[in-house]
Amino acid sequence: MECAFAITGKDFVLIASDMSAGRSIIQMKSNENKITPVGPNLAMACGGEPGDTSRFADYVDRNLRLYHIRNNFPLPPPSAASWVRRILAESIRSRSPYAVNVLLGGFDTTTSKPHLYWLDYLGTKADIPYAAQGVGMYVTLSTMDKWWYENIERREALDVLNKCVDEVKKRVTIKFDFNCVLIDKDGVHSLDLKSQDPIAELEAKVAAMKPSDPEPIIPSSDAPAIAAA
Amino acid sequence: MEYNGGSVVAMIGKDCVAIASDLRLGQQSVGVAMNFDKVFPVNDKLYYGLPGLATDVYTLREQLRFRVNMYRMKEEREITPKTFTHLVSSTLYEKRFGPYFIEPVVAGLPSPTELDPHPKPFISTMDTIGCITTPKDFAVAGTASNKLFGVAEGLWEPDLEPEDLFETISQTLLNAVDRDALSGWGAIVHVITHDKVITRQLRARMD
Amino acid sequence: MTVQIQPQEEAVGFDFSNYARNQFLGQHMNGLPKATSTGTTIVGLKFGGGDSGEEEGVCLGADTRATAGDIVADKNCEKIHYLTPMIRCCGAGTAADTEFVTNLISSNLELHALSQGRPVRVVTAMTMLKQYLFRYQGHVGAHLVLGGVDSTGSHLFTIHAHGSTDKLPYVTMGSGSLAAMAVFESAYKPYLKREEAVALVARAIRAGIFNDLGSGSNVDVSIITKAGCETLRNYEMPNERGVKSRNYKFRRGTTAWVKENIRSLIVKEDVKITSGAGKEQPGIEPHPVPVGAGPGGEEGMDVDS
Repeated sequence: MECAFAITGKDFVLIASDMSAGRSIIQMKSNENKITPVGPNLAMACGGEPGDTSRFADYVDRNLRLYHIRNNFPLPPPSAASWVRRILAESIRSRSPYAVNVLLGGFDTTTSKPHLYWLDYLGTKADIPYAAQGVGMYVTLSTMDKWWYENIERREALDVLNKCVDEVKKRVTIKFDFNCVLIDKDGVHSLDLKSQDPIAELEAKVAAMKPSDPEPIIPSSDAPAIAAA
Repeated sequence: MEYNGGSVVAMIGKDCVAIASDLRLGQQSVGVAMNFDKVFPVNDKLYYGLPGLATDVYTLREQLRFRVNMYRMKEEREITPKTFTHLVSSTLYEKRFGPYFIEPVVAGLPSPTELDPHPKPFISTMDTIGCITTPKDFAVAGTASNKLFGVAEGLWEPDLEPEDLFETISQTLLNAVDRDALSGWGAIVHVITHDKVITRQLRARMD
Repeated sequence: MTVQIQPQEEAVGFDFSNYARNQFLGQHMNGLPKATSTGTTIVGLKFGGGDSGEEEGVCLGADTRATAGDIVADKNCEKIHYLTPMIRCCGAGTAADTEFVTNLISSNLELHALSQGRPVRVVTAMTMLKQYLFRYQGHVGAHLVLGGVDSTGSHLFTIHAHGSTDKLPYVTMGSGSLAAMAVFESAYKPYLKREEAVALVARAIRAGIFNDLGSGSNVDVSIITKAGCETLRNYEMPNERGVKSRNYKFRRGTTAWVKENIRSLIVKEDVKITSGAGKEQPGIEPHPVPVGAGPGGEEGMDVDS
């Protein structure tokens, strides 16, 4: 049981995912992070078979990192989505497929455009402005249909996201806690949904770090960020 | 097939062909995307549609693009609609016992050659394992194929001019997908003539 | 160090890479999609020789309906397949299988004829077909009626999908085989004249067309004698479509559209004679060349050109 959804805006992508981990009706953990940064401006929310999700996220992360190191340039979101799709499509034909459903969001720094991809374990790919996966699909898609509009600004998009979270809390019988990231030209930032104004906090953080540190705020996984050429 | 939904139709006109598809991508009853085009160009005057399981739409499209490019480099010429149909057919039959869940539709205008100075417009369809049929009127495939058969059988007539063919194929598709829960959510039509390709996104019911 | 190149085994035969996935998919969804099958009437008949006073030969017949479930997929398909100049083969069962099996065997027969320097015999075709079908244990669903003339005379066989064969003077196959056989059983006699044979074959196929739901549309006939093979495509058309009394043309502009993209295939270029290259040419408006992804091409889906 999982629930993730994502929204693109004018120059950013928001991804939110639940943090529950458990088996059938038992919840073992309520603070499991399911959103992995897989590049300086790319993040992925994974749902599905518990073991597969983290293994798959690692696999994608390491391969995209390798690409970044080899080419001194990160794989742009459309290409990364194509690659992830191919991995899933090949995996479904193998003896032990990854049972993973993915939301891949990224900001393309070359074209300055946000991208969001909906991928399922069969290797189906959809390039869409807002998406949901898991049980949240049934309640949040209609919410986003109603409130989303093109070139939506950060605060408004976060409002839509909070509406989705509220909707899930209201309509889905399972209790979910959510975490959220925002991806823009500066990198992947985590947002605290419980705070009064997460966007203001984020802006303050970015403003504070910008002059000295050109690297992404959250570097991809634990390794240090790639040195500039 | 019924997992993602989607339909494609192609029709022959007077010195022109048209191919159209809906734009829905679903996961069973839930609509996921309304920009999922199932019709792709091979070259200027040859298009094909791949309705069926969406993962196979991508996989088969990648495979076919590779094979067409290899053909183009080896032969140093563009592939003809007929040859392309056989290429798709053998690609599908190769997986006879584990097929791609796709029923392709091909539509193209062959270029005049010395042997055949006035080639006829060409359409064809295949089943999931590559059995070719080359109709002289229209070809349909996808989850709304039953409905498309009926509507097209009634509306199609020979020697339609490009603009008339556009109306006929558009109305055929729109009315058929209105009776199919798994197809719809927008539609796109390509009319291929000798001097241009007209592509139009239709205004359709979004329910 | 020398690099050892492993002699790779040539990849032949079918690719099963989707099989496991499809089994899984089939369990989770409502079954696997149906392939086009030729719910068919196909027949064959030996004629001539004996006291008929005519050259002996075989006559093959087929209807022209292809079905996918309860839908007529093709109203005028061809079920009499070419094998060699003097051998033809009617196919029933899974349409793709009959098509690909006959094509494959036809190629192999041609190679065989070339290597042996003489026309192949009908038994050779029959043996190659049955061995191929037996290898696939009936999973290649081709049910065939094979007929032809060679140096040893005229021959007629049926070949079942599992690889069994029969050699008979008159045969029928497919879903309409019972209707067709009823006609043969009542009217067949040895040493028919060519005309009589063609008429009887057409009658048997007609019986299938009108009495079997899986068969329909037109009658195709092929006659093979020592003199050669004559194929009569749409020999009878008992189910011609009536002419529409009025047309259903829509008035132009009926369909509302939201976006249009016209890709011109005509290359236009204005040439102006100037003295001195690279000069600015004030009278000329630059014509944009059609570029970009083209129709249907969002990212990652660019036009192949």
